[in-house]
Amino acid sequence: MKSLLVSSALVLAAGIATGASAQDKLTLQLKWVTQAQFAGYYVAKDKGFYKEAGLDVTIKAGGPDINPSQVIAGGGADVIVDWMPSALATREKGVDLVNIAQVFQKSGMMLTCRKDSGVTAPKDFPGKTLGVWFGGNEYPFLAWMDKLGYATTGGSGVTVLKQGFNVDPILQKQAACISTMTYNEYWQVIDGGLKDSDLLVFKYEDQGVATLEDGLYTLGKHVKDPAMAAKLAKFVKASMKGWDWAAANSDAAAGIVLDNDASGAQTEKHQKRMMGEIAKLIGSNPKGTGYLDPAAYDRTVAVLMGGKSAPVITKKPEGAWTHEIFDKAK
Amino acid sequence: MTPLILAGATAAGAIASLAVLSAKGAGLLLWPLAVATLGAAWLLMTRLSNDRQADARFGWSVPAIFGLSLLFAWEVVTRGFDIPRVLLPAPSLIGAALLAQAAILFADFQQTVLKSVIAGYLLGNGSAFIIALLVDRSPFLQRGLLPLGNLVSAIPIVGIAPIMVMWFGFDWPSKAAVIVVMTFFPMLISTLAGLQATDRMQRDLMTSYGASYGQTLLALRLPAAAPMIFNALKLNSTLALIGAIVAEFFGTPIVGMGFRISTEVARMNVDVVWATIAVASVIGSAFYGTITLIERRMTFWHPSFRKARG
Repeated sequence: MKSLLVSSALVLAAGIATGASAQDKLTLQLKWVTQAQFAGYYVAKDKGFYKEAGLDVTIKAGGPDINPSQVIAGGGADVIVDWMPSALATREKGVDLVNIAQVFQKSGMMLTCRKDSGVTAPKDFPGKTLGVWFGGNEYPFLAWMDKLGYATTGGSGVTVLKQGFNVDPILQKQAACISTMTYNEYWQVIDGGLKDSDLLVFKYEDQGVATLEDGLYTLGKHVKDPAMAAKLAKFVKASMKGWDWAAANSDAAAGIVLDNDASGAQTEKHQKRMMGEIAKLIGSNPKGTGYLDPAAYDRTVAVLMGGKSAPVITKKPEGAWTHEIFDKAK
Repeated sequence: MTPLILAGATAAGAIASLAVLSAKGAGLLLWPLAVATLGAAWLLMTRLSNDRQADARFGWSVPAIFGLSLLFAWEVVTRGFDIPRVLLPAPSLIGAALLAQAAILFADFQQTVLKSVIAGYLLGNGSAFIIALLVDRSPFLQRGLLPLGNLVSAIPIVGIAPIMVMWFGFDWPSKAAVIVVMTFFPMLISTLAGLQATDRMQRDLMTSYGASYGQTLLALRLPAAAPMIFNALKLNSTLALIGAIVAEFFGTPIVGMGFRISTEVARMNVDVVWATIAVASVIGSAFYGTITLIERRMTFWHPSFRKARG
């Protein structure tokens, strides 16, 4: 009996000791599957940057039909990686999303077309079939078509296909053009057997319809809560440290991503290439990685509101971003 | 307390509760009113269920009142507790979306039901029926094809949908193909079981009449198989609609019920999603009901329908 008491007291003591040094839990929802697009977070986790900051971060991979904004609205994450158009559209629907860091300074989105489909310039789009991702990724495309004045319901305008997880529609000539990212699907098309010279690329950046992509978003109530804000600041700081490391050690970062890919679907060649492209999008901001440039934010809002027929957002968002967390993370 | 008075009380309570909801501010008044309304509806349904005469004349009334009470409770709870729209919209919002998006919802109905479901349903059931007749005639098919059929029935729909998109393109043929795969096996098995449903005495009688295989099939075995075949047709009517909607979560043109659900959820237009769900359930029930009516006409001799004819 006595020994039982002693041992249970020891167990209790051990429990209290570990409890005191417990890490703060935080869940991050990614926008897409595990790949170099999110290398910074995986590096921060594997290199122990989160641990040093006293955080226990769970990284949830996304996928084609997962909209991070919806996940956070449903309480499935504390912080998400999302594109600004989707975040602002969701914000207008009553979910208080706030940008706390902007990782990608430039847009990597483009429309990749087959030359043999007869497309030479955006003026050739009417009557053609274009592949587009939905699930919150359709907004930049819709804003662009709106700017060009093309209806997206077929007929005299363009015919839109909901593009799935792969680039088959362009390989099989089911579509003249498909949506691609500079760092991912474009290379899948190349790997699929088409050559650079067979393709024509329209970058959203060059078309003047670029919108901000991967940024970190959380709910307004988290920013207002001092304890949570401090936790988020630690998270942003560690994540940006991870991004800087990934940009500097691109091949090693690709290796870390592959280690974390539970699906085993990613190849080393593809991830190394992707990491190189991602590094270009992060750029080197004098204010530090992850700084949201208010001018770029204003440009994004202007593109989204510029729609004549169906603007993505109808009124100027207020308080959709904050530098508070980013400044705390310094 | 006659049912008429109860019905009046229920209606008055419902109207009063909704008026209080719209007025806002009289929050304390709302809950007793709503509870009283639901209580009156409960009593009314009890009375109607126990009243044999009423049951014969107004058999539809109890389910109708029950459904309306559910909608009423849903409306009061979502608006009374101010539940966020993106989690659960009130029925009134869903109704408004139904009206506002009627043109879009109708286009979705045309794409999903009139093109994919009907084509896939006819092809899947028709081919399964013909194969079943062939299997019935030749023992080697029975031994070779049935295990394969078992294998096909176990294929997960989300696995084949993207492959069908690759084979048959983005439009409705790929969705119809998914439905064919889904509906084929239940129909095959049921038809085969139905063809086994006659007993030796009946078949011997046909032989002694000197009936050929075809005559036996038409006069005896198919009518005997009809209840089993109709069971499969009813099961497949719901499977086909589900299959079409799930298949549209993959590559699709930008029209169709499955496309609408997957896109509007991401756009946080949950009211449109619910409106689509409402349309889908009404169509599914109507489809099922139609098959049931045809079955009654064709298998009137079956014991389960004798009572219905009085």
